[in-house]
Amino acid sequence: MFGRLFLAVLGLAIGAHATDWSVPEQELAQKVVALTGKAPISLSFENRSSLRRRDAEIIENGLRGSLAAMGPRVVENDASAITVAISLSENVTSYVWVAQVQRTGSEMAVAMVQIPRGAGVSSTRESVPLTLRKSLLWSQAEPILDVAVLEENARLAVLSPERVSVYRIRGGGSQLETSAQISHPRAWPRDLRGRILATKDHLLDVYLPGVVCHSSAIGTFSLNCQQESVAWPLMIAGPGAAGPGSQAMVGAYFEPSRNFFTGVETAPGGWLKIVPQFYSAALISRDKDVVWLFAAVDGRVHMVEGTMDRLTNLKWGSDFTAIRTSCGAGWQVLATSPAESATDSVRAYEIPERDPVPVSEAVDFSGPISALWTEARGDSAVAVMKNTETGNYEAFRLAVACGQ
Amino acid sequence: MKRSGWQWLAASSLLIGAIAAGGETRPRYGGTLRIEMSAAPASLDPAEGNVPDSFGRRNITALIFDTLVKFDDAARPEPVLADSWQAAGQELRLHLRRDVKFHDGSAMTPESVAASLRLENPAWKVTAEPESVSIQNDLAEDGLLAELALPRNAIVKRDSGKLNGTGPFRIVDWKAGERLSLAADENCWRGRPFLDAIEIEMGKSYRDQMTALQLGRADLVEIAAGQVRHTDQRSMASSKPIELIALWFAKGPSSPEENALRSTLSLSVDRTAIRDVLLQGTGETAGSILPNWMSGYGFVFSAKADLVRARQLRGQISPAPSWKIGYSPDDPLDRLLAERIALNARDAGLFLQTTSTPSADLRIAHLPLESGPWSSLGQIADQIGAPLAKEHGSLEELYAAERTVLASGRIIPLLQLPVSYAAFAGLQNWAVRPDATLNLENAWMESGAQ
Repeated sequence: MFGRLFLAVLGLAIGAHATDWSVPEQELAQKVVALTGKAPISLSFENRSSLRRRDAEIIENGLRGSLAAMGPRVVENDASAITVAISLSENVTSYVWVAQVQRTGSEMAVAMVQIPRGAGVSSTRESVPLTLRKSLLWSQAEPILDVAVLEENARLAVLSPERVSVYRIRGGGSQLETSAQISHPRAWPRDLRGRILATKDHLLDVYLPGVVCHSSAIGTFSLNCQQESVAWPLMIAGPGAAGPGSQAMVGAYFEPSRNFFTGVETAPGGWLKIVPQFYSAALISRDKDVVWLFAAVDGRVHMVEGTMDRLTNLKWGSDFTAIRTSCGAGWQVLATSPAESATDSVRAYEIPERDPVPVSEAVDFSGPISALWTEARGDSAVAVMKNTETGNYEAFRLAVACGQ
Repeated sequence: MKRSGWQWLAASSLLIGAIAAGGETRPRYGGTLRIEMSAAPASLDPAEGNVPDSFGRRNITALIFDTLVKFDDAARPEPVLADSWQAAGQELRLHLRRDVKFHDGSAMTPESVAASLRLENPAWKVTAEPESVSIQNDLAEDGLLAELALPRNAIVKRDSGKLNGTGPFRIVDWKAGERLSLAADENCWRGRPFLDAIEIEMGKSYRDQMTALQLGRADLVEIAAGQVRHTDQRSMASSKPIELIALWFAKGPSSPEENALRSTLSLSVDRTAIRDVLLQGTGETAGSILPNWMSGYGFVFSAKADLVRARQLRGQISPAPSWKIGYSPDDPLDRLLAERIALNARDAGLFLQTTSTPSADLRIAHLPLESGPWSSLGQIADQIGAPLAKEHGSLEELYAAERTVLASGRIIPLLQLPVSYAAFAGLQNWAVRPDATLNLENAWMESGAQ
């Protein structure tokens, strides 16, 4: 359903790209004729803009037609004719078409029209559908911090810096069902991060730096936000805790005025673990032990097994998380790539022995990933990116398919 | 919020994201950024009219102060300290953002905003209202928003000579024209910046700046136009051409003949050779004040040398004039430019004597443009004392206004240059704004980078 919605939007954008240039063609032709009258003109064209050759040819033909219809006879190799040099130029916001009109012995006259540039055609890069698959959940102009699917293919909640919005998905379209503001007494830190999770007893919980919000259990949708430090849920704690709807997650405390976790973790049972300050973490449960991976604020990936903290040379981005699936070894780490361009990618890894090994092709994103969280159900993750082509924020579900 | 259709300016900001050595992609808090710059402003007050405009000065202003509005990369006005605005006739009412504090901890109020704007614009009628300020002047809404976005209209709380802003960094130590120490404002309304501090050394030559960068004594420096091609492109960012290099006559022409001689000089200058040889191909040759990317019609003003026409014009006028062309003794490029122009002029029968003293008939001028065409043209017209009939209007009116300024005979455009910066590889997420100033608000340094 979401895929159809996305394709429909893309189709509209492509359809809108077939620009009708006839109005500015006639406008410029009128301005030229106002300067030349019906005297013979010698016409030349130059495309100085980013318009493609085909478009420039269409415009040239249109202008010739408009001029011919208004009276002046277009001649070639006639020294007595008025020369009209038309340039298709542009500035930051518009196409600018300029006609330089030169009569012999007179000062050059200039006519111009300005055509606001339409929004460019957006295009998406296809992911490589191997083991790791991405599907678009939501797209909007306002920043997205996280998305929670409340009912599969039917209802989802979008966390933005100032509000939570709940949408109903119907027949390829979406409708805002309700929304609520997030109250926070202090300005948000830069590189704002947040987490939204569906719950069983009330609709959802929201975690933001120094603020936690619970939605109302009954009646009109509202958020009760408190300024307090509680652990943010990160991922499913262990094999016994996994499963649809499971809320048994490992948590970690988030530094209220920064963009990282303090390094103090909690888990079901109440135990605490002190680790380096980190941006993201992943837990892999193996037959005999548990391995933690941390994207620490020192820029390195730490691998913690028992009490041993080992620095790795992994070239991952600052965001990764773990999911539990029925594929492969049963646990995978989904890791972003180190930033080197405006795009990003996510790849799945397993840790059979000492070091992680890739188990999927990288899935490409047309923008940097700003959030990567394991979903409440534990077998998939939500990745949020800012699309550098459209400027929109987009949230994707990432899931691993077996046997690909 | 009412959003204006003011549609101008601005190249896309160039975002720098060098390859993170350790794979770190999320911004890291901490670190002190060391900047060197050529400008040496004697005051940090954005409204101080006696301090020459420069990109360095604009950079400092943007770190400490905020304006009420700004323009995004697509030339649309965006809220900053004003979160909405409404125009009615000749009045613009700007609703102020709540919970904004100056660096001294005091609240930004309509009174403090009005006081700042009044000092910066004595001709405006600025009224403080309960949650907003209203401004009355003869500018249309678009024009007034463009004015409010200029650095000189940043909101400043002036308290017994002490300056307080609302920007991401606060002043810690300031030695006029030499160095400036800034610290992150923990309570910044947009969130604390990632960097802990910024240290700025001023009055440094381009050569010294590059040496400091190479030796690790500086993290971010300016690059001379002629050095852009020799700099590692991965750690460099440039604006679109936004600095006008021009010949600026001290006085207007005293007769039509003198005006024709100035046209002769313009026709004699081989701008392409100057760009290709002296500037190593950097920048664009210019016959217009406004660059083509800003106006879309800049090419109409020819920048081509035409020696035949120049000699023809010169032949119609006698006696031969003798002009002194001045250059800055601090800028080696200026001297080369002056010498080359004198050589070109001689070919057309004009005699120019180069001098580094202030008593020159014309001089090589470096004129920073603003991010919008009308504000740029207005600023140049103000500086050179040329008439400007309108301050805002259509594209055709802009063209007519630019023609009038050029016809004054006070200025001969030569080149439009980009402004370029280079940084060490560990500095992430820095950008160059459309007005060629640095955007360091979200810059961060990789761990272990210094």
